[in-house]
Amino acid sequence: MIKRKLILIMENKPGALVRVIGLFHQRGYNIETLHVDVVEDFAPYKLIEDRLDTKFESNQISRLTIQTMVSDILMRQILRQLNKLIDVIAVSNEEATYLKGVLLDENLL
Amino acid sequence: MLLHALHDEGVELIYGYPGGTALHVYDAIFRQDKIEHILVRHEQGATHAADGYARATGRAGVVLVTSGPGATNTITGIATAFMDSIPMVVLSCQVASHLIGTDAFQETDMIGVSRPIVKHSYTVFDPNDIPKIIKEAFYVATSGRPGPVVIDIPKDMTAPENLFDYQYPDEVSIRSYNPPIDPDQSQIERAVEAIIKSTRPVIYAGGGAIGSNAEDVLYELNEIMDAPVTNTLMGLGIYPATHHRFLGMLGMHGTYQANMAMHNADLIIAVGARFDDRITNAPSKFAPNAKVIHLDVDHSSVSKIIEANVAVFGQVKNSLQAIKETLKERIKDYDKEALEPWHKEIKEWKSMHGLNYELYKDESDSHQILPQAVVQHVYQITNGDAYVTSDVGQHQMFAAQYYHFDKPRRWINSGGLGTMGFGLPSAMGVKLAFPDEEVLCITGEGSIQMCIQELSTCLQYNLPIKIININNEALGMVKQWQDMNYGGRHSESTYKDSLPDFVKLAESYGHVGIKIEKNSELKSGLEKAFAMKDKLVFVDIYVDPSEHVYPMLVANNSLEDMWLSKDKKT
Repeated sequence: MIKRKLILIMENKPGALVRVIGLFHQRGYNIETLHVDVVEDFAPYKLIEDRLDTKFESNQISRLTIQTMVSDILMRQILRQLNKLIDVIAVSNEEATYLKGVLLDENLL
Repeated sequence: MLLHALHDEGVELIYGYPGGTALHVYDAIFRQDKIEHILVRHEQGATHAADGYARATGRAGVVLVTSGPGATNTITGIATAFMDSIPMVVLSCQVASHLIGTDAFQETDMIGVSRPIVKHSYTVFDPNDIPKIIKEAFYVATSGRPGPVVIDIPKDMTAPENLFDYQYPDEVSIRSYNPPIDPDQSQIERAVEAIIKSTRPVIYAGGGAIGSNAEDVLYELNEIMDAPVTNTLMGLGIYPATHHRFLGMLGMHGTYQANMAMHNADLIIAVGARFDDRITNAPSKFAPNAKVIHLDVDHSSVSKIIEANVAVFGQVKNSLQAIKETLKERIKDYDKEALEPWHKEIKEWKSMHGLNYELYKDESDSHQILPQAVVQHVYQITNGDAYVTSDVGQHQMFAAQYYHFDKPRRWINSGGLGTMGFGLPSAMGVKLAFPDEEVLCITGEGSIQMCIQELSTCLQYNLPIKIININNEALGMVKQWQDMNYGGRHSESTYKDSLPDFVKLAESYGHVGIKIEKNSELKSGLEKAFAMKDKLVFVDIYVDPSEHVYPMLVANNSLEDMWLSKDKKT
């Protein structure tokens, strides 16, 4: 068990954050640190916009940084569970990015 | 407005119960005739009825309830649908927007309460959004891995003075939701390669295969492969139970041959099944020599419990189709004959034990009725072609073991959550969907009392379902575990002297009741019940209370370790 960081890009909608946090509790994972920002600079997420064929607009998406203590196998499960949430657009750790169910080798975040 | 949107979505039936915050909607229901509303007697019954309707038809079930207690009463039903991936849309009304957060009368944070057990949920903040939210909710509920969706609707959102241009969206797209449909061909090729190399394959199909309507393509694929097939409790009917390659159900109370075949397989093809703990027993001891091909629409189900060697994401129907096509192209590499020794071994397992009750069954009046015999007679009388709902416990397992389903969507039970009280209301939902079909509920005297109030709904809407109450005068499965693991101490699992007279109870609700206590009355009594086509008949059958369900897996061991009877272990 080591401390790992993961990053989420999600829709900035009421109730979206609590779904993410609730999932950690529900599945028995613990959050060590949590940071949330509304994204205003979309340049780093151009690739996501291209892949989803969409355009992010002001105040539309949030970026979450979460640190958690988990094993490798559990980490993969967390990524997949988070990505299953309807409001979550992409989730990534150091190695991989899940973009709406598609596992990408490159780190988009 | 709301009803317009539901009608445009193709909804014909709503199950619900009115109350303060739902009154605008109920007034609109009164003033239209396109959507039929079924008034239940408890909101839990509404969710199970909608659930039964969804399981039988494949379409989303719709529930309408008021705020507060109306909403919280749906929770068990929503959780049941969530665990079994059943499409459902629950419209829960809410106190008016300006009252939210003030602890108003009948206010509950329904979105908060339901969050861990829904696929997604919506709150209506602007009445103009209603059509779009309804469209999205049905899309989310029915696509990908299906599940329940809650829409919370504050009272002012449905006020009749809200007038605006109504337009129902033709299509829907959610940029952050994109469930996989077609599989990746490279994974299909790896899967086919593994199938070609295997000499001891087993196809293990679950509820996801039924949800994806994969019965025909699964059958066609196995006409080529000729592999043994087992189904989970949720998957019964996806492959014909009377087919000679069918092994029966696997898992906790699965057949001897199904569990042995899984344990000794060199390849397991999981089709819309999730390696639940009732299936794997101890995951570390599960099928030690098997490679796993896992077909699923949900990424998070794959390699969650058992690591998959080949993961195929997509609608399992499409994935099976792709495997079939690719295997056909490589048919000259596939040696069906190589499976012969495997079939021979399985045949031996089948002949050795099977379902053990056959060995001691006694249908004379010197013995009490055995619960298995009840299900066997029901199976014969209905020609194996009825819709069978069940509750949870021993009767559920006996029904799963002895009613042989040849078609999908006929076996309707709460597999994942194990909800007692599910059987009667879900049977109502099925009967409303298919009024001309035989619908029966195999239940126990414990479960039936958890939603017995719906007998009144059955009278109101003239739903002539048949209730087969396997009455052992105790909470049978609890008692069985107490017999096996707690020295026979039957803590709070019996209530023999306080059971109601079910015949009189049925009669007081306006139905027919039949009591059966002797083996010699069993067949004729059941025939009499099924002959009353236009009546709900409650058949109360007293059975041997000491009977246990076998086989039963020995906890924390492999699938090879089973109790075959009270004193015989593998």
